[in-house]
Amino acid sequence: MTDVLIVVALLLVAGAATAAVLNRDPVRQALVLSFLGLTLALLFTFLQAPDVALSQLAVGSAVTPLMILLTVRKVRRRPGSGGDGADKPAGRER
Amino acid sequence: MSTSDGWLAAALVPLLALVPVLWRIAYGSPKDRLIGQNLTSLLAGLVLLLAARGFHRTSYNDVALVVSVLGPTGTLIYARFLDVLPDSRLVRWTALAGVPATVLPLCVATGPGRAMVKLLLIGALLIAGSVVTSGRGGKGGVTA
Amino acid sequence: MSSRVRLWVFLVGAAGFAALFAAACFDLPAFGTVPHPYGVRAVHAALSHHTANVIASVNFDLRAFDTLGEESILFSAVIGTVVLLRQARDEHRKDPEPATVHPPVRRFALLTLPFALLVGLYVIAHGQVSPGGGFQGGVVTATALHLLYIAADYRALERVRPLTLYEIGEAAGEAAYVITGFAAVLAGSAFLTNVLPFGTLATLSSGGTAMVLNAAVGLEVTSGIVVLLARFLDQAVEIEDPGEDDGSPRHTGGGGGNGDDEREPA
Repeated sequence: MTDVLIVVALLLVAGAATAAVLNRDPVRQALVLSFLGLTLALLFTFLQAPDVALSQLAVGSAVTPLMILLTVRKVRRRPGSGGDGADKPAGRER
Repeated sequence: MSTSDGWLAAALVPLLALVPVLWRIAYGSPKDRLIGQNLTSLLAGLVLLLAARGFHRTSYNDVALVVSVLGPTGTLIYARFLDVLPDSRLVRWTALAGVPATVLPLCVATGPGRAMVKLLLIGALLIAGSVVTSGRGGKGGVTA
Repeated sequence: MSSRVRLWVFLVGAAGFAALFAAACFDLPAFGTVPHPYGVRAVHAALSHHTANVIASVNFDLRAFDTLGEESILFSAVIGTVVLLRQARDEHRKDPEPATVHPPVRRFALLTLPFALLVGLYVIAHGQVSPGGGFQGGVVTATALHLLYIAADYRALERVRPLTLYEIGEAAGEAAYVITGFAAVLAGSAFLTNVLPFGTLATLSSGGTAMVLNAAVGLEVTSGIVVLLARFLDQAVEIEDPGEDDGSPRHTGGGGGNGDDEREPA
């Protein structure tokens, strides 16, 4: 049974990682990255490595998204208009 | 190291439910993606609780505890920057039905004690987090 | 070096790594077997030092020196970020705009905040007993503080977050680790040897120096992440580029700039 869980989690990780690469918008990538982080944490738990799972969760579920989103806001605000135009995912290149 | 296959098989249910969620996160509208993110941490919390029981390791519940605290936090961070906090009946009902359906049998299997209190706490946090992040104005009356 | 040469250097290196890595993989014990030679020894060492969480024993006792390296990586990464994201001379600071937060979200975030703090501290404190430890708990604690940004706005967070204190905390955590290591030397052992009394297995005061080092890492990581996020928040919320408001493209450095009299904060 453990093997089944591990295989499903591995497939989810592979799917999420591929989706993260295929998406081009940073905000969308951040969301897929969060998903990837959670599935990785599940995989680590199934492999009975809860310490690693905790590290992954702690970093991946709030701190990394916050850093990515803050960076995106800063970078998108740059070309002008001062305001919070950052909030619209505008499909611009990285 | 013995495992209880019944609990692990039960963990497979929320785990497999993550597959359509991944699809939604990868290809949905911004609103859909945020709902997906919310749903992911809820389902992951349930998987972790069931897996902890399946492996006979009560200390693994700490991972679920961290998910129940940080999952809604992550959702609120996204909501802050994307400027949407979508109303989602799916998340609300998954929480209101799925969490008791998971936590109560776990409590029965664990028996009274500190581990059970912790389970109930994690369950309450998962429900509160999901309800607050999935509805406006606290429709379910559980607004934290 | 031309790109062609670089590619060849990379390919040779990658091929060498692949060959050695594959050779090493064939010598690994089978996946998922219960009695793992390293595992058996690590568990034995952990129990002999009264540390219930074998991972903590490996991190803070058997391989405490490696962990010092890892801690220093985070430490220097945060310092690097602080240097890179400081307020440049031609940037100016504006007060962040107050945000209006949906009341249920505000209530939920404010209620979760102390709870998340507690969970973080719990994970740090039980590092030597159950899964978790200084790093994991530290990140959770730092995240918990930022619930205040979610519940209200950046000004509210700034008011209760004395950044200097966290900068000191980060350095103190790093220093405490090294000092604990040298204390072992003074006690007549090698650097970072576990010299303290081991305590009772599976209690908060078990594990000897593993407990102290765990706490030091917790302090360092909490403060480090807070300082790190503070720099990102400053950049995204407070600091404006020159000419950001009038829509002109960003020019590099000290031309005939506007706001040249702004000094960098220390």
